[in-house]
Amino acid sequence: MTTILVIEDDVQTSREIEAALVDYGYETRTAFTGRDGLVKAISDPYDAIVLDRMLPGDLDGLGVLAALRAAGIHAPVLILSALTAVDERVRGLKAGGDDYLTKPFDFLELTARLDVLLRRRNAPITESVLRAGPLEVDLLTHTVRRHGQLVDLLPREYRLLEYLVRNAGQVVTRTMLFEEIWHYRYDEPTNLIDVHVSKLRRKIDTAGEPSVIQTVRGSGYVLNAAG
Amino acid sequence: MRLADLSKTTSFRLAIAFLALFGLASLTLFAFISWEVKGFLSNRVDEWVQREGKVLSRLDATALAQRLDNRQRDDATTERPITLYDPAGKVLAGSPVPFPAGHDSATAPFEFGHGSHLPMAPFRGLTWRLPTGQTLLVAQSVDELNEFGDVLLGAMLLAGGVTTVLGLVGAILIGAGAVRQLDDITKATRTIVKGDLSGRLPMRGSGDVGRLVAVVNEMLDELQRLMNEVKGVCDNIAHEMRTPLTRLLAGLDRSRRRSSSTADYAESVDEAIAETQGILKTFGALLRISEIEDGARRAGFIDVDLGAIVTDAVEFYEPLADDRNITISALFEGETASSSRGDPSLLFEAFANLIDNAIKFTPAGGSVEVRLVRSGSADVVSVSDSGPGISEADRIMVLKRFYRAEPSRHEPGNGLGLSLVAAIARLHDMDMVIEGPPGCRIVLTRNRSEKASPVEICDF
Repeated sequence: MTTILVIEDDVQTSREIEAALVDYGYETRTAFTGRDGLVKAISDPYDAIVLDRMLPGDLDGLGVLAALRAAGIHAPVLILSALTAVDERVRGLKAGGDDYLTKPFDFLELTARLDVLLRRRNAPITESVLRAGPLEVDLLTHTVRRHGQLVDLLPREYRLLEYLVRNAGQVVTRTMLFEEIWHYRYDEPTNLIDVHVSKLRRKIDTAGEPSVIQTVRGSGYVLNAAG
Repeated sequence: MRLADLSKTTSFRLAIAFLALFGLASLTLFAFISWEVKGFLSNRVDEWVQREGKVLSRLDATALAQRLDNRQRDDATTERPITLYDPAGKVLAGSPVPFPAGHDSATAPFEFGHGSHLPMAPFRGLTWRLPTGQTLLVAQSVDELNEFGDVLLGAMLLAGGVTTVLGLVGAILIGAGAVRQLDDITKATRTIVKGDLSGRLPMRGSGDVGRLVAVVNEMLDELQRLMNEVKGVCDNIAHEMRTPLTRLLAGLDRSRRRSSSTADYAESVDEAIAETQGILKTFGALLRISEIEDGARRAGFIDVDLGAIVTDAVEFYEPLADDRNITISALFEGETASSSRGDPSLLFEAFANLIDNAIKFTPAGGSVEVRLVRSGSADVVSVSDSGPGISEADRIMVLKRFYRAEPSRHEPGNGLGLSLVAAIARLHDMDMVIEGPPGCRIVLTRNRSEKASPVEICDF
């Protein structure tokens, strides 16, 4: 079972995160201080770590991260922080964090990002053609086929689909899509991602059949790997 | 005002220090003049004594005695006594001056006769031992010389006394003025510290303190303006939050009263989540404006290609424009590639906000045009639409947080979009101008020739 270490000093927030992760099917351990978190992370192997940026005491989130990396622990780390400034985000990622989520956050956003981190770690993609259900995405020629039929996509539609296929079967949020496809970072701009996905659906779906891309209410999308 | 306070003031201490310095300099000058004058007069006495003695000592004993007796008869004063003594020291001829015991074989002029009963004493003179065993004394009274020294000393003491008194009075007056000014400033500052931000420090003159007071008063003006602005923003936030919070409360209350099935509860929870997300989004936008206005994001500036960002923003909105049957186009003029410093995400957000507004207010069949004109002197980005435009009266107001012009009241949004664009523009030293109707044209101009100016504090 996938085990996640949650290092968060606020007891209530920590409980909520744990509950969300357990509901999602992860096993969790908790630490309330940086020092305790560091000891736990070094003592036992974890698949991923959720780390609060601001921790009480002499060891804050970035200190824990630096110590973890120095100790040779390379589990993916998702940083949680109330500090929204971009340079804070950059500092977190530069210190060795793999992703950064600002408070308040949606728990689905948290689990979706953890999923992506874990997948990236567990299954590095080496093949040049990705398959999900009826879809085939050729990473070399940037072409897409559905049931073997070529689908004509605009470059941004291709990038959108490729990301969804790479993370087939798991939820990706609008914010994740915006950051990954357009490479700009700020709070979810509008519901425009919905419009882009809708255009993509029209091109890859077949009339009368359920859409390959399912909407997850209020949060994002999931590409149905089984088709 | 207490004396202890006075002695603590810088002006009083400075005045006292200058007084002491001036006194020391005057004392040194007086001592030098006195020493020089006395030396000069003393030398003149010595020269006369030497010259007269040499001439007289060459005479034979009888002629010498005769000369001295004649001299005594003609001039009986003892201002310049010349006396001949026998070997026992008894006066043989000349002035009746007692033999200067111990100086019968002097080689240099000496002073004698201090405390003597003779008038014009003390004297300065020289003795010559004559071949006859007699001793010749030639001397001059130094009484006037000493008197001159006494007068000089008296003048010095008087001048010193007057200077000290005047200096002290001056120092007290200056110090008292400073203490009074400081008392006034302290009093005014205490009033301000208690919360009366309309208070200002009293202005007196244009000296150093005056200049400082002027700067502090300017700072207080700015602080008062900012505090009023913060208060205005807080009031706005409180006012704007009432509506969504009331909706949230009403929705939760309704679900408690009426919901009977799990599906009803789930729907209520979804509504509450959506409402809360809306509130968080508004707070997020406010925090972002505040962060941008703080200027901290300037630290993350990199070389950006405005053309690429404009292209991305237009491309991002193309599907929405298509859905609404609006033509959107990007036009580029001037230099094809020129980079400038900036934050790409913020610039994208600014352009996206402008395009979003343009699409929102343009009726179906209309058009939105994003134009980038680049030249050596300026980069100009404009977003124009064929919508109703913004009235003259609303142009300033739309930049204020939460303000929503009449046509936009029924559109989704929080009234922060243009405030955010204005903040981003200021961070990038861009001028923002709203033009039209007909249509609406928002122009962002970044002048290349001007040096980057500091970020101005947002005035809304």
